[in-house]
Parts: sequence; C-alpha cells; structure tokens
Amino acid sequence: MANVLGKRYMCEKCGTEVLCNKAGTGGLDCCDTEMKIKEAKPLPSSD
Amino acid sequence: MNTVNFVTIPSSIVPDQEILVFGKRRLTYADLNDRVSRLSAVFKQQGLKPRDVVALLDTNSDLYIQCYYAAAKAGLTFLPLNYRAKDGELEYMINTADAKLLLIGDRYMDLIGRIKPKLKVSKFIAMGHASNAMPGIEDLITKAAPDESEAEVEDEDISILMYTSGTTSLPKGVMLRFRDFAAYVTANVEMADGTERGAALVCVPFYHIAGTTAYMTNIWTGRKLVVMGQFDAKAWLEIVPRERVTHAFVVPTMMKQLIDEPGFASADLSSLTNVAYGGAPMPVQVIRRAIEVFPPIVGFVNAYGQTETTSSLTVLGPDDHRLTGTPAEVELKLKRLNSIGKPLPDVEIRVRDEDGKFLPAGQVGEIIIRTARIMKGYAGREDDARLPDGWRATGDLGWLDDDGYIFFAGRKDDMIIRGGENIAPAEIETVLMSHPAVDECAVIGVPSVEWGQTVKAFVVRRQGQNVSEADLTEFCRSRLASFKRPESVQFIDALPKNPLGKILRKDLRAPSGGV
Repeated sequence: MANVLGKRYMCEKCGTEVLCNKAGTGGLDCCDTEMKIKEAKPLPSSD
Repeated sequence: MNTVNFVTIPSSIVPDQEILVFGKRRLTYADLNDRVSRLSAVFKQQGLKPRDVVALLDTNSDLYIQCYYAAAKAGLTFLPLNYRAKDGELEYMINTADAKLLLIGDRYMDLIGRIKPKLKVSKFIAMGHASNAMPGIEDLITKAAPDESEAEVEDEDISILMYTSGTTSLPKGVMLRFRDFAAYVTANVEMADGTERGAALVCVPFYHIAGTTAYMTNIWTGRKLVVMGQFDAKAWLEIVPRERVTHAFVVPTMMKQLIDEPGFASADLSSLTNVAYGGAPMPVQVIRRAIEVFPPIVGFVNAYGQTETTSSLTVLGPDDHRLTGTPAEVELKLKRLNSIGKPLPDVEIRVRDEDGKFLPAGQVGEIIIRTARIMKGYAGREDDARLPDGWRATGDLGWLDDDGYIFFAGRKDDMIIRGGENIAPAEIETVLMSHPAVDECAVIGVPSVEWGQTVKAFVVRRQGQNVSEADLTEFCRSRLASFKRPESVQFIDALPKNPLGKILRKDLRAPSGGV
C-alpha cells in the first residue's frame, strides 16, 4: 500500500513511529510487519 | 524529530500558503522557512554549538517564532524569558541556564544594561536595530545566507527550557525535549496539506507553554497564526473580524476583559468558532456570561495542563458548554462548568491519596497523570515529581465525578495563580521579611473575579515599628514582578501556627472567603 504524505506510521510490535514527509508508491515495514497509519485525534481547542 | 520540521515540511508542501501574521507583516511558509534558515546561520556565526542555550527577552512577535525555529534548526536549546520578571529573577534564569546568547527586545535594553555586569552570557543581539555596540537582528538576517542544514537531535535533547514559578522562592527550569513537542503536536493536529483550517489568534505570552504550543500546532496544521504582541481587549476585538479569526485562546482574566470591553456588543465576531481558555481556574460567573454574550456558534473549551506536561492534559469541550437540554441536563452542565473536563487521548489521569492509593469518584486527592510528554526534569534539580510506572504527581488537588469528569480543587501546596501567572508565596514572603519593620508574615491567594486570585499578605509588625500598607506594597513593587506585589496587606498581632511552629495558612484563608 502506498504511503501517505503527513501521516504517522506505527509499528505495533516495537512502537517505532515514522512520519512521511514525501509520499511514494512503496509501503513501510518494521519488525517484518506492515506499519499502520496512526491518526491524530484533533484537539478541540485553539491548539 | 527536530521541531523545525513543523516549518520545513509544510513549507515544502504548501510554500505559498500564508501562515504567519504580525501587524503589517504577513509571511507564507516559504517566507518563514527562508528567515528561519538565515537566522539559523546567524546563530552559528555567533559560535553557538548544538545544545547551547539561546535566551530571548521580548514580547510576542513573528520574529520571536522565527528565533525559536532557528534555534531548533541549529540544535540549540531555547530559553523564552518572562518579560514581567524583575532584574534578580532574570539574572537567576539567564545565569543558571548558562545562556550563551541573549536576544533583547528594544524595551528591555535598559533593564539588561542594569544587570549586564552580573550576567555570565557574553553575546547579545538586539531584536530591533543595532544599539549600544550590539548587532541588530534584522541586519544580521539580511546579510546571512540561508543555511538549509538541520541539526540531528537526540530523543533526550532539550528544545525549550521554560522557567515556571516554583514552590520555593526560585523559579524552576522545566526541560522540554524535542520529542515532547513532537508527541504533543503530532498527536493532536494533522499536518498542513492545503486544507482550509482557519485562523488562530494568539495573545498569551510565548514564555508560557500555552503560547508555545499554540504556534507549534497552528503552524504545523496550516492554520494561519495571527500574533498579538501583548493582549489588549480592544485590539483583540478589532483583529478577529479583520483576519477572520476562527480559533483563539485566552486566560480567564482576558475573557473577563473582553466581555467587559465597551466595544464587545458591536464587535463582529461572526468568524469565531472556537474559544479555548485555561492557565488558571475560570470563575464560573465569567464563563457563564461569556457563553451568553459570544455568538452561539462559538464552541468553548476549557484546557487544563502544565508546563511540565507540555501543555494540555484535559479538556472540557464545546458540548459541555452548551447549556441546553432538559432542566436536569442543564443543571448537570452548569455543575460541570466547574470541571476541567476529561483527559486527552494520550493522557491517563487518576486521583490518589497520601499513601499513593487510587481514589474512587467523589473523593478529593492529588491528580496524577501519565503521558509520553512529561518533561525531562527541572534543570539542576532532582525533585521532578516523578512517580513509579511513568506517573507524575501534578501537585494539584482534584476529584472525579461518576462520568469521569475531573474537578480541580486547588494547589496541593499554596501556589497562588493570578491571571494565569503562578506566584509562590515564599518568594513574596522573603521580600517582605527583608523589610526592617516586618517581624513575621504569610502570603496567601484570595479569590478575585478579575484575576482568579490576588495576593494578600498578613504581616506582624516588629515591636515599636510603624509601617503602612502603602509602604510595604511599594517596597515589594521595586523588588518583585508587578503581578507578584501584594494587593492588600493586613496587619495582625500574631500568625496562627501549629504546635511545630508551622503557619496555618488555612486559618488565614478562612476570613478571606476561602480559596
């Protein structure tokens, strides 16, 4: 699966997080497993 | 992650998007990135090396934000100084931080001139034009070539050293790492990608954590950031319609000044969708009035956090501020207006007793928290309030209701919070005790609708001495930041004490109406 600009990817095994600052067609793997997108949970404030 | 990526990455994606406004100055991401790169080169030309400390004393501006990101880009630690602090306090912060470079706003030149002989820092740059053989930052930026290189920072490297008033008489330097800010910002907002995200107005000082995280999150997410040098209610009401401001953060004192401002009723606030408040407990009568007089579309948010936890821990959201529903629902919401809400997704909260046992709903104890963005520690100190298993003691008292809402019940120690500024009574007591006519004294916070709390001193005069309230407030005025000066002094014959000789502050508070 292609990676997505600005998204964080997390390894569910070791906890590594990767931020994508230029998208491409490749995927991301860590600990022999595909890394999953970790969404930001919007803060309901001015931040 | 180096926090300068909060500028460089959006700059590579949406370079032409306008992101920063200060007065007549308007910057796109590309403009901001260019100035940050030049300024980073300037810092390196000054001989600064990664992990050196650069301190800044000035009011808010676009340039202030550029200085932070340039420091980050060069791998430096940034020290935003409290511009309300007095000579001795500044000297303490600058020297104990071992700052190598001090950036000074025009209005603070005389102050720094006075304390310069006592400062260990050897390099100075004027935030305006060159003065007193001090180079001016604009000249240096203009002459510098952009330095696109970015320092590799380690997980434990300190990005910001932020001094907060401690329970002792000395301020404490909170060490916040690059990773603390990366965790806060990326967990709470999405990166800028051209999506319209409105405009945020920031008026809290950048030496406060709320001001710092406001510029980091808004610039990362692509919400135009409109900066006020200092808060002014009339100007705030003019800027909102002019810049079509959608989001704003105020401390309770600012909220009261806004709704009391004569121009409030006629101000066009139709662009506003989100007004957050925090920094100090909000008097319920003020937020109730605000809910009535702001446009109904505005969603209010109460944010509770600490410098030590890289800003917000809990929020009471817009739905809890909409006083609609059945009479029973409205009554419940009115009760919850006193609440600081529920924890953010990356925060766990418990209430514990003195023995460390978790307490059930309804019982008051100390609020403890666990999150990935707890400070590294206090500079040069061991007392970081760290508990086993990643928990931190907040020093705040509170309780949970049956639905998990948290209610703040005051400081565990006796910190006074006046208009969002923390004031340690011991600091004022030390000054008062240095007056020859003062035998004993104790300082407490008393409730104030205007400020949340104000400072009151109880003084026992030395025998045979005659000193007035005005004498003592004037004595404090020249030795303390203005907001720390006692606003009332009551003379008493003796301080209430326990058998061990400790002052019983609760007995002093009782006649003042409680805190």
